[in-house]
Amino acid sequence: MSFPNDLIYSSEHTWVRVDGDIATVGITGYAQDKLDEILSVELFPIDSSVEQGEPFGVIESVKGATELISPVSGDIVSVNEDLADDVGILNSDAYDTGWMIVVEMSDVGELDNLMDAETYTDYVEANEEDD
Amino acid sequence: MVTWRIIPFKRHDPFENMAIDEAIFRTHQRGGESPVVRFYGWKNPAVSLGYFQDAEEEIDCAYCRGKGIDIVRRPTGGKAVLHGDDLTYSLVAGESIPPFSHDVVETYRIISGCIIRGLAKSGIDVQMVEEGRGGVGSAGSFCFATSYKNELLVGGRKICGSAQVRTRGAFLQHGSVLIDFDPLAVCAAMGRTGDAGGAQEIEAAVTSVREMIGGDVSVDDLCLNIAAGFEEVLHMRLVEGGLSPGEEALRDRLLEEKYVRDEWNLKGGRTGSGY
Repeated sequence: MSFPNDLIYSSEHTWVRVDGDIATVGITGYAQDKLDEILSVELFPIDSSVEQGEPFGVIESVKGATELISPVSGDIVSVNEDLADDVGILNSDAYDTGWMIVVEMSDVGELDNLMDAETYTDYVEANEEDD
Repeated sequence: MVTWRIIPFKRHDPFENMAIDEAIFRTHQRGGESPVVRFYGWKNPAVSLGYFQDAEEEIDCAYCRGKGIDIVRRPTGGKAVLHGDDLTYSLVAGESIPPFSHDVVETYRIISGCIIRGLAKSGIDVQMVEEGRGGVGSAGSFCFATSYKNELLVGGRKICGSAQVRTRGAFLQHGSVLIDFDPLAVCAAMGRTGDAGGAQEIEAAVTSVREMIGGDVSVDDLCLNIAAGFEEVLHMRLVEGGLSPGEEALRDRLLEEKYVRDEWNLKGGRTGSGY
């Protein structure tokens, strides 16, 4: 499984696209594979505060609820409303139109805790070996 | 041999049951030690809703209140369950604890294997569903009317329904093994009082331990057998314990701030934050 080189990744399987202090956040293809069939996504609303390592929403899959863990801290300034109408975007275009939230980061330094594509690929492969 | 903690069977009120499960789960994901298996019952009848279900849409809230049936929202996904004549289990573990994984369906398969082994000791031959089926009749919001891959059936009829939540490398799966079953009561709670046709459809799709055994059921024996099923399939030994002081404190907080509140139980909302 490959991951776009222009994004950075968290150990909780979210991706981040950084533009200054603005972070666009979504989930990786690996996370989707492990969730089986995704039914819906519930995201915290605009103006909510999120913290790195804390939830920003929940994904509903068949029989399961999986909390989405934020890779950054800050305030949510935009939420992808299209996911409410068509959660299939997550499968068809996870790294572009399948984005979930946009966060105005309060601490850009936290990005140092995240991984580049190569490191994340190794991380995922290690997880697969553990499984 | 590796040991896991088991919290022996006890009946609690519905809100406390969910608070206990979530307290164990939240504590575990913050660095808990070994996995935890728990068996419990329900002091009074209750409908538990899946995390994403809408109370007003899925069940007859007024009927439930009138009959003294509490309504509690679970932290897990899945559909509504009418509790009372069931044995509920929960398992909290890390995704990296062998043989578990990040894979939701695979985790179901493994735990279902434990329940199958346990129920076999009670003389019940349970099969795992290869392919799921949709809800029967008019009770599609009822957990036992629907079966998904890796769930448990006896002769094509569901006997155990389970649901999961996972975050930060840990998961909580809890599930309900039906000891007895009243399809008319289910229909009424789901807003279809007196729907004899619906009740027949559900009855054809659901069974219970009592029906399979053909007599009285000892909950203690059932717990012992299912616990042994977990031990044999997962190659570990269960050691009895209670909640830790930290888990007790979090249970009390979750109870007060979340599970006794209509805001959570009827409407749902942001979960996890702060716990």
